[in-house]
Amino acid sequence: MHIEDIKILISDDSVLARKQLKDIIMTIGNPTFIEAVDGQDAIDKYKETAPDLVFLDIVMPRKDGTIAIKEIKEYDPHATIVIASSVGTQAQLKVAIEAGAKDFIQKPIDRNQVIEIVEKFLEGR
Amino acid sequence: MYSQFFGNFLLINKYVTKEQLFDAMQKQSNDRIKLGTLAISEGLMTAEEVDEVIIQQTHEDKKFGELAIEQGFLTNDEVLQLLKAQVPSFLQLAQTFVDEEILTNQDLANIITEYRSESEIYDLDFTSDDQKDTIEKLFDNFFVMSETPLSHYGRMYLELLFNNFIRFIGEDFTPLDGSAITEFAPEKCVCQKVIGDYSVVTYIDMDEDTAVEFASRYVGDQFSEYDEYVSASLEDFINLHNGVFIVNVSNEDNTDLELDIPYGVKDPLLIFDKKAYLFPVMYSFGVVNIILEVIKIETEDSEV
Repeated sequence: MHIEDIKILISDDSVLARKQLKDIIMTIGNPTFIEAVDGQDAIDKYKETAPDLVFLDIVMPRKDGTIAIKEIKEYDPHATIVIASSVGTQAQLKVAIEAGAKDFIQKPIDRNQVIEIVEKFLEGR
Repeated sequence: MYSQFFGNFLLINKYVTKEQLFDAMQKQSNDRIKLGTLAISEGLMTAEEVDEVIIQQTHEDKKFGELAIEQGFLTNDEVLQLLKAQVPSFLQLAQTFVDEEILTNQDLANIITEYRSESEIYDLDFTSDDQKDTIEKLFDNFFVMSETPLSHYGRMYLELLFNNFIRFIGEDFTPLDGSAITEFAPEKCVCQKVIGDYSVVTYIDMDEDTAVEFASRYVGDQFSEYDEYVSASLEDFINLHNGVFIVNVSNEDNTDLELDIPYGVKDPLLIFDKKAYLFPVMYSFGVVNIILEVIKIETEDSEV
């Protein structure tokens, strides 16, 4: 599958974090991006747009990332969700993984880690 | 490099695979940490000594501590000290890998040393001795300002903050004398609350031009005016700093603190109900004001 054919939902309350992730991904192609600014927005946008891949921050307003993962997974058990977070102890991360997160990247975001995740996802499709 | 999550550290250094890590994180139980793992972590026993005691345990029905004392690896006091020690949360994960035979005790000893040297970044590790002296003096002067010593967490918090300034913004700053304040008129200001046994609200404030330069340095991109990206960069900085702080606290003594969402301050005047301290930092491009409003502290005899 080509990167141009997929939709990526980036959910982070920081406009900067969203921009950085988008900028990195755009170095390898131009997927359709959807942005969400909090956990509830991520759930709503997921249902509206059915993205192929989701990047999600853990600490966000309204609903935090771990709750958003659970709700998205309940709605679509096949959702591919990657945690992108600087904040979080192992306990929080464990909750996120148990809720169904597929992968995680740690901020400050490492470009290679993001590219690797997107490329692996494309290979698997 | 930032190794906030021990799991991420293991992964990046290829000590374990992603599958092994996820598996261990799910298995990771609240079982009591083993004395041998703790002894390695505290530097009281080598991995070889721990392995020797474990082998001996297979043919003598005695506790690890008893055998370690008999062998002269630990003293009675050291065993008691280990039994009372607070367990850093990352050790639990580390032990799961040993239990699963993915890592040996020797691997564990090496990895712990490496992880600690990379992640415990709140010790002052400034490149310039002058800078270090200035900041040490600032901490010493704190007593004069507040009539109470800086608490353990307060010192850890400020040391990490100055280190993060150096890492992300640059070393060309001078910390000015701090002062106790009851109110403050912010310009471009972001704030975030740390909640838990050490509860503090941190404000980072500066004028518009300083904010543009601060954000440019932080992101590594040249901003030309104060816009939403500049404002988000300040929030990102404070969030990153506090994120590292709570993970360091969790790693050090298994105390879990939480973070609120960072936000831009809109009030023209901040009035502090609790004790608040202003630490201005003068950069070559402007002054950055750090304000700590201390809500709760783990000990009664210190105030920040």
